[in-house]
Amino acid sequence: MKPSRAGWSADDQNKDQMVGERNILLVEDEFLIRFLISESLRDEGYTVLEATDGEEGLAVLLSGQPVDLMITDVRMPGGIDGMELTRRSKALAPARPVIVCSGHLMSSEAAPADIFLAKPYLADALVKEVTKLMGTAWKTDTQTRSA
Amino acid sequence: MENRHADAQCLIVADGDVLIRNALAEYLRHCGYKVIEAANSDEVLTALRRGTASADAVLADAELAGSINAFELRIRLREEFPAITTVLAGSVDAAAKAAGQLCDDGPHLRRPYEPEKVVAHIKRLLAAVKRQAP
Repeated sequence: MKPSRAGWSADDQNKDQMVGERNILLVEDEFLIRFLISESLRDEGYTVLEATDGEEGLAVLLSGQPVDLMITDVRMPGGIDGMELTRRSKALAPARPVIVCSGHLMSSEAAPADIFLAKPYLADALVKEVTKLMGTAWKTDTQTRSA
Repeated sequence: MENRHADAQCLIVADGDVLIRNALAEYLRHCGYKVIEAANSDEVLTALRRGTASADAVLADAELAGSINAFELRIRLREEFPAITTVLAGSVDAAAKAAGQLCDDGPHLRRPYEPEKVVAHIKRLLAAVKRQAP
């Protein structure tokens, strides 16, 4: 039996992403925000990898797990802030979209992020931005496969 | 928005290593649990005290960081939330084995791989990070 999540094949251990899956790395040090956002994204069918700071986020990026999109806070404890993590992500995978969320940054300072979201924001607003970047075709793929 | 967890049992996975925490949490989600991820003991207490969820069990690393250690956390949970079962694991293997037992006893949504596979997966992820670290 083949598992449904990317990077989890029990048979061949390959890390190929399966059709109908989108993996999002969420990097946020505030527990309640992280919980709320990750649950909102999971409700929409995304697989969410949660990281609590930039160093954890980088570890996930370097681990080889498929990450289709990264969402990151900017100010976080530790040696890597959200902007540095964004630069590292773009260096590893230039085409991978990044959404930066901050209550302290101006949108003009958010480059090379693809989208800037000023805090505080509604979970629905973030989900809408994710949908814009990820599209909805992959959900159709899932429905087609399960039909 | 769909309600994925109308009747799901809820677990908290508490581990300071993101790759271990993510892997265990995903494994348990595959089994049908709602899973909350916590990086330290403070986040476990925040989740429970703020009413984020009423967890059925906490699976925690025995060396969990935070303002109180894992053993103090277990005592605190026993006092404040006596209905919650706390499982402390001293190694990745022990944590995966405990997760496997929770899957055996839990919702049985599906169980695509054995705890040994979880450990192997975690070891591969850790090795990949080690290879790529500057």
